[in-house]
Parts: sequence; C-alpha cells; structure tokens
Amino acid sequence: MQKQDEKGYPWFPFDINRQAFIPTLVTLVLVALAIASFFIYTRVSTDLSPDSVAGYTYAITGTIAMLLATVLYTRARHTRRSKTGQLNYALLWHIGLGVLALVLLFLHSFADFNPRSGTYALYGMIAIVISGAFGRTVDRLAPRLIASEARKALTEDGDDRIEAISRNIQAIVSHNTENIQGFNITKRGKRELSPAKTADRAPGSALPESWDLAYISLAETPQEANRNAQQYRFVPDPKSPLSDPGALIPGYSEQMEKLQFAQQALLRERFFRALIRYWRIFHVLMVLLTIGLTLWHLEYAATLLIPIFLHH
Amino acid sequence: MLKMLKPNSIILHKTRPQVGQEIQACIGCNECLLACPAVSEPITIDVLNRETISGQVSAPVARFARSCYQCGACVAPCPVGLHRDAMMMWLKVRLLSMLDEG
Repeated sequence: MQKQDEKGYPWFPFDINRQAFIPTLVTLVLVALAIASFFIYTRVSTDLSPDSVAGYTYAITGTIAMLLATVLYTRARHTRRSKTGQLNYALLWHIGLGVLALVLLFLHSFADFNPRSGTYALYGMIAIVISGAFGRTVDRLAPRLIASEARKALTEDGDDRIEAISRNIQAIVSHNTENIQGFNITKRGKRELSPAKTADRAPGSALPESWDLAYISLAETPQEANRNAQQYRFVPDPKSPLSDPGALIPGYSEQMEKLQFAQQALLRERFFRALIRYWRIFHVLMVLLTIGLTLWHLEYAATLLIPIFLHH
Repeated sequence: MLKMLKPNSIILHKTRPQVGQEIQACIGCNECLLACPAVSEPITIDVLNRETISGQVSAPVARFARSCYQCGACVAPCPVGLHRDAMMMWLKVRLLSMLDEG
C-alpha cells in the first residue's frame, strides 16, 4: 500500500476509483450502441413506433437492465461478501445499469407519449435516475457538511463542546455566587462582610454605629421592599449597561452564545443525517412505484399483443 | 424494506475519547468493511483503526474517509455493536482539521 500523508477534505475531491473503470466503460459502450442502433433503424425502417421490432427490443432490454439494476444490487447488499470493495463494485454496476435502462426505455418510446401507462412508467424511470444522481450528490456533500458541523460541536481536543461550555457556565455561576455570599445581609437588614472578610480586621476594631445625623442607615425603612422577600427583584434602568442580558454575571452571555452556536451545529448535523437517510428511502419508494407503473404498462402491452399472437 | 422504514433515532457524532474506546473495543473481524458500499480499495481494519485516532492518514484511508457517506451499513454487522460510521466521522473531522493546519 502506498504510504503517503494525505491531508484535506475538499468539497469535490478528484479521487479516482479504479473499480469504476469497467462498469463505466461497459455502460458508455452499451449506451452508444443503443443510440447508434436507434439512428440506423430510423434510416432503414418506416415503422417508428414503440410496438415495432426495434421498439420491443428496446423495451425488453431496457426492462432487463432495470430489473438487473434493482435485483443485483439488492442481492449484493443482503449476501455476505468475501472481499472488501465488492459492494462498491455492485453499486457502480447498479448506477450503470440504471442509466442504460433509462436510455433504452426512452428509445423504446420513439417520442410517442400518448399511451398513459408507458409514459408514466418512463417518467418514473426518469425520476429514479434523477433521484439517484441527486442522492449521490447528497452522499458526497452532506457528510462533508456533517463533519464541519461536528467540528463546531467538538473542542480542539475532540471533547464535547457543550459539556465544556456547561462546565464554564457552572464555574462562572459558582464564582459569582461565592462573591455574593461574601457579602451577606443580616437578619436586622444590615449588610456585613462575611467572616472571611472580617477576619482580616483586628478584633475590636469594628466601626461603631455613627451618631451623626448624616449617617444613612442601610436598614430598610418600612416603605422599602424587603430585599429578602421573594418578590424582590433588582430592575436596573433600561438605559443602563446593567440591563443588558448577562451583564450581572460577567462572561455568562458569551458562554451562552457559544452554547447556542454548538446547539445549532448539532441541529444542522441532525438535518444532514436525516437528509441522507430519507433520500435513500425516497429513492427506494420511487423504484417500487416505477416497478408498479411498469407492470401496469406491461398489462396494457399484453392486451395489445395477446390477440395478435392468438390470431397467428 | 420495512426495516428501512422503521424510524431509528439519528445518532450524532462521537467525541475523541468515545472513538478511542470504540477502537480499543474493535476485535478486527473486518465485517464493517465487507458491508461498506463506499470502500473501493483493500484497506485493512488495523490500518484504518490506527490512522483513525492519531498519526498520519495514508492516501487510501483518506480516500475512503472522503467517500464514506454515513449510511450506517457498517453498524448492523458489527458483532460487538460498535459504530464504525462514528469512527469514520472522526476521521473526516481530522481531515478537515489537517486542512486548516496546512
């Protein structure tokens, strides 16, 4: 194995899949042959209808290609593989046969879109191929987007960012709580420093209550709302910077913004993962719908063909 | 088909310690790589495990990481219930980080 350092994750990496060579080549050759035969037939024959010999040939080969595309890949997915990369090889054939089936069935129509059953079956086939192509694009882009969102939700060390932010918030809140606790309010309503703060002072050096008339007591007057009561709430002036959210807990609002950013990244990641999953389900449902429409069209074709065979 | 329509919960990415634990728990049976529709080269599970968590990322492993489309086909066959898709996501995150580091 070639050991070289490979960096980066571009949106559209030009990674050459060597396994894709044979399925791609075979598909291109068969598509070219089908288109060439169509042009030759239109020059040679005057019967340019879906029920001409060429029309039936395209119909039968197109239906076989469609069935092979569906059955082979489904079978490959549900059987045990013996080698790494076998399922990818089956997927490449699935894509090639699907494209070939669409071309053949389109040629089968001979641009006659009058029979409703056949036209709907063809539309179904077109929808399958388009949904498959779009699905491959989603498969290429969505994981890149998921990785980018996951990176936002992880720290540089690869830990959960939300958990790290929660710890920061917890630390900020407990730090502020300690500060508040260091400034207690006594039962008498007077503010006093906590024992840790008063311990710094020499014993007996506490300031006496002022006898001055200018002394303003910190004790609440009966007209004031009690700070210890439940209904007390500090409401700063709306023009003051204190009224900004989180201003009373410094650092808190920044952490909350980071938290919201990480949570939004997780939501986007969930969306992209759901897109990958549900687009695949949509593709499978389209296949089932198209098989149903094809069976309806085959029943319509049988009502035309069986009387002809019976007369012969 | 009905299994496909069954709404399993969407599992998000895992952290580095969780990915490290999963890699340590991997028994190297290779079932996840056999079930993978994205891998196109013969990559061995021990090389993938080693390069997922740390060190340089070789070209085949980087190509595999970029082509992995998180379909989750690797999860069901794992006999010890590991999430290879989460490990591949971590590898993708590493590739993205390498791009920024230059």
